[in-house]
Amino acid sequence: MPFAVYSDPVVFAQEDREIFHGPIWHFLGLEAQIPEPGCFVLAQVGKTPIILVRNRDGDVSALVNRCSHKGTPLAFVPSGKVDQFMCVYHNWCYDLSGTMLSAAFERGVRGKGGMASTFKKEEHGLQRLRVHRICGLVFGTLSAETPPFEDYVGPEFVANIQRVCGRPLRILGQYSQKLPSNWKLYIENVKDPYHASILHAFNGVMKQDRLTMEGGIKMGARGWHHISYSKMHTDTGGEVYSTGALRNAEIEAYGFGLRDHSMTDIWDDFGDNVTMTIQTIFPNFVLQQLRNCLAVRTIVPKSTHEAELMWIAFGYQDDDERRLQGRLKQANMMGPAGLIAMEDGMIGGLVQKGIAGDLDKAAVLEMGGHGIEPIPGSRVSEGSVRGFWTGYRTLMGL
Amino acid sequence: MNVNVFQEQVAPAEARQLLAAYTYILDEGPLGDWPTLFTETCLYRITTRQNEERNMPLSIMLCDNHAMLYDRVEAVEKANIYEPHYYRHVLSDSRTLRTTADSLWLETSFICVRTMLDGRMTLFAAGKYVDEVVALAGRCLFRSKTVVLDFSQIDTLIAKPL
Repeated sequence: MPFAVYSDPVVFAQEDREIFHGPIWHFLGLEAQIPEPGCFVLAQVGKTPIILVRNRDGDVSALVNRCSHKGTPLAFVPSGKVDQFMCVYHNWCYDLSGTMLSAAFERGVRGKGGMASTFKKEEHGLQRLRVHRICGLVFGTLSAETPPFEDYVGPEFVANIQRVCGRPLRILGQYSQKLPSNWKLYIENVKDPYHASILHAFNGVMKQDRLTMEGGIKMGARGWHHISYSKMHTDTGGEVYSTGALRNAEIEAYGFGLRDHSMTDIWDDFGDNVTMTIQTIFPNFVLQQLRNCLAVRTIVPKSTHEAELMWIAFGYQDDDERRLQGRLKQANMMGPAGLIAMEDGMIGGLVQKGIAGDLDKAAVLEMGGHGIEPIPGSRVSEGSVRGFWTGYRTLMGL
Repeated sequence: MNVNVFQEQVAPAEARQLLAAYTYILDEGPLGDWPTLFTETCLYRITTRQNEERNMPLSIMLCDNHAMLYDRVEAVEKANIYEPHYYRHVLSDSRTLRTTADSLWLETSFICVRTMLDGRMTLFAAGKYVDEVVALAGRCLFRSKTVVLDFSQIDTLIAKPL
């Protein structure tokens, strides 16, 4: 993988055009964020600012957040509730589905001035994205070429969304991280089960997720997406973790172990003994089940060397107090201070430092061979990372 | 330790000494002393203003007893990987929110500057502490400490408590 792909501004601009404005489904938000008509949240598809809003009929619209007049954003706070969208600059107004309603002084004053006779409001509605709703998740696309969502991700991927999000969701909170790296270094990291119990020593030592557990990787349609899963109760023994040339072995020698066990007091939410699923949808969406800690993540490119990682944690509306508190406790493992997740915030920036100055060189991507076919029963593979690059090359025409 | 024995009145000046000791430990170390400033059953959490205003219960860090505080210290010192850095906290005066029979509630603004070993310095955090302070055998301790960050976009990661 050439290092230049993480650093070249020309590549970055091309990604915005070919990937984010191309035939992809991009996560925009959760329906639970916009419960009532007029409730909106902001999102971003590549560089393009988006408003996700609940309509009067209960449907949702995804609109480009840009007044048709001068291009001013119609909403500039991250969320809110409105009757209509009114631009602050010249008070052009749009309804919740983006239809233009009025412009200030449209007919001038006392018969003088006003918009040209050729101006037609119906031609100046907001640009709308095609939207797909599934189990409270909302995806949108800017391209007319994007295949239907089910075909885009594949049936197993619809099934896992239904598994994790199949009951009414309750949002627990959100935050984000500014990552000092290219967005692709983060998504590669998420798609790489090889590192999870190594970089994140907490995972390995606390036996939360190890490569010695029963688990595997599933690849979505065309290999672009992936699901990594494991069953922590099936760990077959971690000799390699205690004796190998791994940091894990050094830490185990210290006798590291939790004093408080409320964080690891887990239950089976889905009746299938699967304690961990990480599902990605190309290019930049993650659905996370770490034991009972559930979240969606979106990685938003900002520049060649910066990205924003947005987290929304959720539980279910029918969670009792014990389960709610359990999820909140387990959230110690995710996010910017996550006992497991924190290293993911810095590792991309570290790689970016290491590759600087030699962009003609390349990374090695050979764990598990060269293909994208999953190895049955094994996660000692970077096949899912290669799957991301398969989608990337297709859209970038490489 | 019986948690119901805090019957001494807490003077604001003594509570301020506890705050000074707290930021001294975070800025100068050792981090292993951090849990000793809390009662056995306690609450320590970091959250954001955005989540507070929306009544969202998610925390960035959440510990509700001594053992969890020590677990966090041990993870930060032994398991987690991050670029080593120093904190420097600066606090405002404290405002008394209320006094109860055995505790004092204080609110204090803070900023925290983070300096990496290569010299890079960032204004890393700004927000407020909402603290419940009790006295046990003449010594002030936090029964609860909520760190409310003004911002919700964290630069890279938060390893050590704020």
